[in-house]
Amino acid sequence: MADSGAWNQVRHYARAVWAENIKEWKLELTYPADFARSLIDPVVYLLPYLLYGVALVGGRTSANLERLVGTSDIVSFVTLGYVFIGFMNMALWAMGFSLRKEQMYGTLESVFAAPVPRWVFTMGMSMHSILHQFLMIASQIIFITLLFSIRINPLGLLPSLAAVGVMLLSLYGIGMIMASTTLIFKQGWLISEALGSILMVLTPIAYPLAVLPLLMQKAALAVPTTYGILAARHFLLGEAMPFTVGDAFLRLAVLSVVWVVAGLVIFAVIDRWTRRSGTLSHY
Amino acid sequence: MTEPGSTLEPAGREDAAALECRDVVKTFKRGRRLRRKTMKAVDGASFSIRKGELFGLLGPNGAGKTTLVRCIATLLIPDAGSIRILGRDVFKDSLWCRQRIGLLTSGERTLYWKLSARANLNFFAALYGLSGKERDKRIDYLVELLGLKEVENERLERYSSGMKQKVSVARAILHDPDLILLDEPSLGLDPQFARFIRQFIREELNQRLGKTILITTHYMDEADELCNRIAFISRGKIVDVKSPAAYKRDIPHTEVLEIRVQGQPDTRPVETLPGVERASAEFKDGVTTVKLVLPRAETALADAIELLRTGSKILGVDVKQPTLEDVFLYVTGTSLGADTTEKPDEAGGRPGADGH
Repeated sequence: MADSGAWNQVRHYARAVWAENIKEWKLELTYPADFARSLIDPVVYLLPYLLYGVALVGGRTSANLERLVGTSDIVSFVTLGYVFIGFMNMALWAMGFSLRKEQMYGTLESVFAAPVPRWVFTMGMSMHSILHQFLMIASQIIFITLLFSIRINPLGLLPSLAAVGVMLLSLYGIGMIMASTTLIFKQGWLISEALGSILMVLTPIAYPLAVLPLLMQKAALAVPTTYGILAARHFLLGEAMPFTVGDAFLRLAVLSVVWVVAGLVIFAVIDRWTRRSGTLSHY
Repeated sequence: MTEPGSTLEPAGREDAAALECRDVVKTFKRGRRLRRKTMKAVDGASFSIRKGELFGLLGPNGAGKTTLVRCIATLLIPDAGSIRILGRDVFKDSLWCRQRIGLLTSGERTLYWKLSARANLNFFAALYGLSGKERDKRIDYLVELLGLKEVENERLERYSSGMKQKVSVARAILHDPDLILLDEPSLGLDPQFARFIRQFIREELNQRLGKTILITTHYMDEADELCNRIAFISRGKIVDVKSPAAYKRDIPHTEVLEIRVQGQPDTRPVETLPGVERASAEFKDGVTTVKLVLPRAETALADAIELLRTGSKILGVDVKQPTLEDVFLYVTGTSLGADTTEKPDEAGGRPGADGH
């Protein structure tokens, strides 16, 4: 009986996560022009970096890049870095600001009055953001492949997705923190922007980890996107990592636990604070 | 309809009250650190509602009705006191209690306007654990019942306020809750929709389905027409709880002298005339309505007119039997039409207050 109860609860929460995801898609698709822009923008942002890189090295291969990371193809290197860092933007912006959106719609209280824990709701938002991000990645890869052709090891797809999957757990934790901060700070986007800029610099997206100053290299090791992107490029391009694959997964797993626990705790504390102060529906 | 989640945990106590509030206190702090002020929105509210009862919280704007409803719905955490639904504490068993509450918050923007009625209901059904055929059947039933069939697939942004409110009602009762909280359900609706909503609450939800309902309102007619019992709430305190008939019996040998005057004259001398037990003055659309509750209206009639006509034009005089609104004035000393919300410069506003 208890098992059946627990199973019913799991199904209830899973359906709530899916419903939140579907609802977000429906809302998003009511603005088709915005949706189309969200698929084109990432390509437009990526192109200048690629062209700049190609112009600097005088072609798409760089001997210096090969010396540093074991792969010479600068286009594939930068493209994959940018593709996967999109997940960080998803956590900081899309997921972080979805509660703010609910506040502006006026629906946050209706949703929070429902018999599901808050993490179920944020998980649904996160699912929508991840699926959206995969569409953006597909759009980026199709365009860049058509323009430059990307050479990746197809056998590396599954392990790289596994690394990205563990990275997404960490980003879920970061997204929870961002979502909760937007409940109390009216200008929460300032925090997102500051944190986003710091993480963008620390994560070796368009450059190898080795070119960062030593102190920044140390700091980069506390950032989940560093491991996610390095591991993904390792499997797809053969990029050399300053640690073993096992180490990368282990560190990513530890960071995921830390960020998810921090996200849940901070969210719970802020949720309680807003219910005490009566500011839940304020925006 | 089988209620989802009901097999997960034992039900609440059979003999327990549907809702029991004990000494609930909710204060808000507002303003900057050095000028921070504390304001009591709910001040020791205690009452209980029996199963199947239609119970009203009647009070003016800013009385604390919405704050109290938000506490019951777990959207606010009180500073003190306890709230129990079917014997279970709403903060210790919040998920269990939320499953048993149907909440209709005041204001239009409680649904996704870019989605259709059906899409909104599908989404909330999933949050409340409904799925598949059970969900579709329930939504079909509610859409039919509330007259939304023709427009169920149109976006809410194209609906009138009344139609949106019907969808909000459908959302509140979608999961067949035991306790329905309706916060100002007819606020801002045209008379036709307001009448429909009231009739639906009384005849369908309460009389036919036997639901326990807590309704907040500052419309005296609404409370009088709908409720089995009414709690008068004023400045965060529950002043009294009785049936509408019992309230009216409280002041049987009383009359209400109502004088309408152009402009905004000083009404204080009238309010202190001999024999006047309660008085109020409301200014609206250039006209001040003075109400005096007293044993016999004619004893103060001449003096009141004399005092008010100085510098103002008397527009009308009426002597009435007391209504529930007059009883409210008599019991609380505050008119239902008054706005008792503390202004930001007084105490930094009243979050959760009516009209907020």
